[in-house]
Amino acid sequence: MNQYRLLHITEFHYDGPVSESYNEVRLRPINDESQSCLSFRLSSKPASQHSSHRDSFGNWVHHFNILAEHRTLRVEAESVVMVHEAREMREDGVTLAAFDAMRDEVADEHYDLLEPTAYVPHPPRLTELIQEAEAAANNVVGFARAASNLVHNRFRYEKGATEVHSTVHDALNSGAGVCQDFAHLLLAMLRMRGLPGRYVSGYLVPRREAERNADAGAPPSMEEVIGGYASHAWAEVFVPGTGWLGLDPTLGGAVSEQHIRLAIGRDYGDVAPVRGVYKGHAGQRLSVDVRVRPAVDDEGRELLQETAAGPAEEPAEEPPPQQQQQQQQQ
Amino acid sequence: MGILEIVSPTQAPHVKNLFGHYDTGGFYDEMFSSPGVPRPHFRHIYQTLSTMRPEVFEERRHLADLSFLLQGITFTVYSDGRGTERLFPFDLVPRILPRHEWDHIERGLTQRVLALNLFLQDIYGPQRILKDRKIPRPLVLSCRHFRREMIGIQPPRGIYTHISGIDLVRDSKTGEFYVLEDNLRTPSGVSYVLENRLVMTRTFPRAFELDQVLPISHYPAELCQILRSLSPHGGSDPVIVVLTPGIYNSAYFEHSFLAQQMGVELVEGRDLVVDCDVVYMKTIRGLTRVDVIYRRIDDEFLDSLAFRSDSLLGVPGLISAYRAGNVALANAVGNGVADDKAIYAFVPEFIRYYLGEEPVLRNVETYLCSRPDHLEYVLAHLEELVVKAVGESGGYGMLIGPSADGAQIDAFRRHLREDPRNYIAQPVIPLSRCASYDPASGEMAGRHIDLRPYCLFDGEKVIIVPGGLTRVALKPGSLVVNSSQGGGSKDTWVLRGDA
Repeated sequence: MNQYRLLHITEFHYDGPVSESYNEVRLRPINDESQSCLSFRLSSKPASQHSSHRDSFGNWVHHFNILAEHRTLRVEAESVVMVHEAREMREDGVTLAAFDAMRDEVADEHYDLLEPTAYVPHPPRLTELIQEAEAAANNVVGFARAASNLVHNRFRYEKGATEVHSTVHDALNSGAGVCQDFAHLLLAMLRMRGLPGRYVSGYLVPRREAERNADAGAPPSMEEVIGGYASHAWAEVFVPGTGWLGLDPTLGGAVSEQHIRLAIGRDYGDVAPVRGVYKGHAGQRLSVDVRVRPAVDDEGRELLQETAAGPAEEPAEEPPPQQQQQQQQQ
Repeated sequence: MGILEIVSPTQAPHVKNLFGHYDTGGFYDEMFSSPGVPRPHFRHIYQTLSTMRPEVFEERRHLADLSFLLQGITFTVYSDGRGTERLFPFDLVPRILPRHEWDHIERGLTQRVLALNLFLQDIYGPQRILKDRKIPRPLVLSCRHFRREMIGIQPPRGIYTHISGIDLVRDSKTGEFYVLEDNLRTPSGVSYVLENRLVMTRTFPRAFELDQVLPISHYPAELCQILRSLSPHGGSDPVIVVLTPGIYNSAYFEHSFLAQQMGVELVEGRDLVVDCDVVYMKTIRGLTRVDVIYRRIDDEFLDSLAFRSDSLLGVPGLISAYRAGNVALANAVGNGVADDKAIYAFVPEFIRYYLGEEPVLRNVETYLCSRPDHLEYVLAHLEELVVKAVGESGGYGMLIGPSADGAQIDAFRRHLREDPRNYIAQPVIPLSRCASYDPASGEMAGRHIDLRPYCLFDGEKVIIVPGGLTRVALKPGSLVVNSSQGGGSKDTWVLRGDA
């Protein structure tokens, strides 16, 4: 069981004055049987009042508006989360043959999580990879794990190879992508095989300072590369009789206590952490900074030193300059 | 602005009797029970018209057109590439319904509106009907107009379908009325109902016994009463607005007409602003809080934060205000899931499921192309069927098999194979006909008609102004009555009695 304190800062910098900015954020960690959200606080600069609701997937959505002119918008979300021990991924559970016998029933119950979406179409090109995963296992968990490993091994992790609106087609064409694309690829494979899959947005907690120190001098591992920009995405598969199991195709394994879940949906479009529209002709730049630290150490003392920090700056898409109303999305 | 076209009065050939060459053509004729024999409820009108000199009729017709033109009652056709504003052709011969027929229609519409509203409450709430497997879940969840954003939102007083326009046709084979489609989003046309009656009374002040006709002029007052009742703070003087996409919308005339009739503001999206989940109207004296919005903007353009981010027509933040219960919207968001043309096939089942009643008005037989067996049948019989795209309205996205050419049929065959869920098919209904004036011959001729009554729902009872909009296919032989496709309209009378 691990407890973390999270600080997620999103900053939009506009080239000129903007106004009537309306935003919705999905930044409050999920509270369910696998993790507990102990506290959550949201603030913005310029200051605003916010209200919240649960969307149809059960995610917390907070919304706020800023009417007055401004040139930067800063959104700060602070939370404390306790992640419970990850469920064991046993491969002696329901077989693919047994699953196929109840496929119609599952399809009826989980319709939304089986249909192709804008980000996750079902390209026939993936059929071969699905067959390969099926050859590796005769049960649902084994298949899902094999599919996740195939995505991990056959696609290159490369920032800039894709962008925020890239689909499974784009990732297949480039052979590379980031965690969002890896999660979408795995979802396409699961759903095309008839297994309900959902997209998870969240954070990956980097390994602790101490563990990193032991590796001093070694090149940064995949975890650390992502850790500098702790926002992460992965997928969950529905296993009849067991429930939802998390798989991380970017790292190649099952999810662990280092995975903190923020929101679930059909694809990235359902869970974008920050979305908004505003009035103005200005272009925008986005910067995101996520800091995660264990809230208490093994003896129960509160840790003061942050284990990871690292602003990552990404240029947002250039909006058409003549449009009166523009959108922003992280 | 488009160019306004009016048809100048044509010089009719010399005709002695307007009904001189009238032929019922084997269809159910609303006016005649058999050739030359008017039905009892049409007897007075027939007597008046058949003894009227054709020049007099022609002159009245010109006056009526002028009256519409001077009031600026026009609509826009989108697909003809010219964006032309046109007069909605008005046919002076009224369509008359005897009281007993109307009572039957009213009973049928009332139960249908109640069931549709209960379906919407259910589908955005507990989804009991899906759990009980009365309708396939995939069919509902795959509707383009199903709004997941609405799940869990409680619209004021549980009303989704404040205003419904339900299209009825009479089948010549049986003489019975059938429901052709439900319009539960932003049905338009009621302004023509009211204006047609006004023009009719002006054009023939004495000729017709209008005192035998049930009045309809209370529609705006009934609508306003329902809108007032939705006010979130229950105050005595709520601020109501009509929200229009603007002057280029085909129904802009109606938006301004209804706002004026109800004595409320007509606004566009840019006139409203949301702050902390409260909607305000920008006025010269500052911001005024808005309580109720009769919106005539489609769901997906209503709020660029919740729906299409490229929409400039709506009000960002509006859905948050709606969810917070600070503003009421009529109609509710997400109604399109209930008037989807594939869902339509299940409405009789909704009536049995939610009300425990048998449907009073029957549906037209419908093939769901999402079902492989139905699709196969439809593909083999395209030449005999009407195929419709499920999410469209206004006669767009439609194939009428018997009158289509080979290329059109081939195109639909491709569409159906590519996206079967998006289509339904129905047999061609030989619509009943009503005597209508044919300017080319200067005589009366039978033309196919339908009927769209407007149903208001106040949360307890359904209020229907007697009659509705009778649309008429003015082209000889045409079955398409939509204004966008060259149709016109008639004044619709419901008599106090049966004759």
